[in-house]
Amino acid sequence: MRMTTPVRWHATLLAVGTAATLALTACAGSGGSAGGTERKIDVSTTISNEPVTLTLAYTNDPPTKALIDGFTKQHPNVTIKPQLTPFNDYVKSIKLSMSSGEPPDIAQYNPGAMSSLVPAGLILDLGPWAKAHGWAEKFPQAGLEVLTSDKSAKQFGTGSLYAVPGGLSVLGVFYNKSILAEAGVKDVPKTLADFEGAMQRVKDSGKVPLSVGALQVGGFHLWNALLNVTGDVGAYRPWVYGQAGSTIENPGAQKATQTLSGWVRKGFVPASANATADTDAQANFAKGKSAFLVTGNWAAAALEDEMGDDVGFFLTPSESGEPVAVASGASVAYAISAKTANPNVAAAFLDYLSSPEAAKIQFDGGFMPVDTKAELDAEGLRAEITTGFTRVAQSNGIVPFPDFASPGMIDKLTPGVQGLISDTVTADDFLRSLQKSWDEHHGS
Amino acid sequence: MAPDMAAPVSPRRAAPARGGDGIAAGRAARPPGGRRRARGWLYVLPALAVYLGFAIWPALNTLRLSFLTWDGILPPSWAGLENYVKIFQDQALYEAVLHSLVLIVFFSLIPVAAGLLMTGLLLGKVRRGMTFFRVVFFLPQVLPLVAVGITWRWLYSEDGVVNQLLGLAGLGSFTRAWLGDYHLALIALGLIGTWTMSGLCMMLFLAGAQKIDPSLYEAASLEGAGSYRQFRHVTLPGVRKEITIAGVITTIAALASFDLVFVTTNGGPAGQTNVPALLVYRLAFNEGDIGGASALAVLLTVIVVAIVSTIRYVTRDKS
Repeated sequence: MRMTTPVRWHATLLAVGTAATLALTACAGSGGSAGGTERKIDVSTTISNEPVTLTLAYTNDPPTKALIDGFTKQHPNVTIKPQLTPFNDYVKSIKLSMSSGEPPDIAQYNPGAMSSLVPAGLILDLGPWAKAHGWAEKFPQAGLEVLTSDKSAKQFGTGSLYAVPGGLSVLGVFYNKSILAEAGVKDVPKTLADFEGAMQRVKDSGKVPLSVGALQVGGFHLWNALLNVTGDVGAYRPWVYGQAGSTIENPGAQKATQTLSGWVRKGFVPASANATADTDAQANFAKGKSAFLVTGNWAAAALEDEMGDDVGFFLTPSESGEPVAVASGASVAYAISAKTANPNVAAAFLDYLSSPEAAKIQFDGGFMPVDTKAELDAEGLRAEITTGFTRVAQSNGIVPFPDFASPGMIDKLTPGVQGLISDTVTADDFLRSLQKSWDEHHGS
Repeated sequence: MAPDMAAPVSPRRAAPARGGDGIAAGRAARPPGGRRRARGWLYVLPALAVYLGFAIWPALNTLRLSFLTWDGILPPSWAGLENYVKIFQDQALYEAVLHSLVLIVFFSLIPVAAGLLMTGLLLGKVRRGMTFFRVVFFLPQVLPLVAVGITWRWLYSEDGVVNQLLGLAGLGSFTRAWLGDYHLALIALGLIGTWTMSGLCMMLFLAGAQKIDPSLYEAASLEGAGSYRQFRHVTLPGVRKEITIAGVITTIAALASFDLVFVTTNGGPAGQTNVPALLVYRLAFNEGDIGGASALAVLLTVIVVAIVSTIRYVTRDKS
């Protein structure tokens, strides 16, 4: 009966820190010992014809399953058993299963949320295989940097490589072609001022300029998109990578924040944004209720299904109108368990992710391909995304999302942007709250 | 009174039986008593084991973890009171506790009042369709809170039903995305709690009121007491215990609320609806600070126990 639920929840709450972690206590010992004993592994890029079975834990599909199929087709003696866990439970459960006695051989890896696996020694330092396979040439530099960290896994872009990407994403702006045409906007915005002008015209024509899902991540993605073009990437990258002495309280971030506040005051951001979930914002845009939506390429497939040719994409335009050099993006990445019996086979799968065959699978699954030079026969919306992404990726301009900077950052970003939207938090306070979370994690 | 009538009956019946037994087996000295006690424990054992394993042990473990620094994977280290010190220094905690105190008004005070009102209106007057009313008012209790939360998020949305009704009533200027409103989100959230809890309170009070001896109402009406006075002097004292229970259950729901907040506002906008349980979740699962999360959970438990004890003390039977 529901009657007892509050009481039961009370008990559950007592256990929030424990019930799950109870099991962890039991596993912690085995996890620690794995870190202590460094195994000697003969690194090889060729794999034998002996039958081998690997398990792979993941949450993103596509592209994972299709990539597994593609790899096992090339290596029929290899069987990879997929273990799917829904996104909300993945990060919580994967830490447990990686520290268990029989972890999956390969696991989808999130360098922010799963970083504790590194100091625990539960995933392999991929350095030897990177060298043997020549991954530095095969994978985009920015894609590897964010998966490279020091032994404490607090600072990215330095130290050892712990995973490689199997699909990339990029943040940009989707637009509704017919709404822009009705509002008299002829060209795709080339500068930030053009973009603002287009939103003003849309607003004057009685339509909503932007859909923003500020209840979840949509709010700070909008801020992030502005930061990409107003900020100095030379200041942002060290900060998000956790380099000592970095700060987000810099002029570029200040400008992005004030621009966002300006958009709120001009009525470009709807007042209801703070109560809108990401899926609702996307649905509103798809239904033609707004002219623009700032989100990642992952939304492309769904938007194309609903809107057909009526949807287009551009990267957040720069202030000067010069081609965009920086855009945020993330990856679906994979790491190898330190306890696997077949590290060379697992590494061969990782190597496969950079191949042209894998590029096609990744692209068909709605991701940007790891092999940025792969020939893709993209049309329409996908072609627009690919063009933008390829240019930025090839010039090493893909940067991580700001929530990578510290584990608690997302709980500062979302409420902070909500404060900007409700005009109750100043730009200074917002940036200070982000830096506080950064300092707590990295030390000021 | 119903409780007074019920209370002495069972022990009185049990007492002579036990005494008789004792006399019959009297010659065999005392061992049977001990064996009986052992047998009693045997019956209790399954429930006790579950309770110890799934309630007491996790609770004690939480207490232990609250004195450790632990990320969930690496070996934990002793932290002493550091986790508690850190929590007390965080402004967010005070705001979260304050918000949950506000929620008590909506989860507990208003539902208890509404439950009493509905009980007064339904009791003895509705002969047909009582089951209908019970089902309708109890329905929110049967639904999972996550489903309730998502449904209300839509009802409250910019073009949701709430705003449509306001528009129809000519109050179009008041429409807004209620859960996204910086000043009104907490109240909007609280009203969802009112909706879910009122039916529960009504059910408890109706059940309690049905145990009241009808002759008391007859006597009262013979003395010339109207509906209000009957309610005030017969029904209300008759459901005193149920009011306490309803108060305790709903207050715990308010203080320890998590699922509803998690799916409707997730603490937003800008932390205006943060509640302690949400902070526990974030510390444990987003920041990987198990020690800090446990310390906060322990603190929340202390707050819940303190407030619930106060309620029980205030509503105790003074006779």
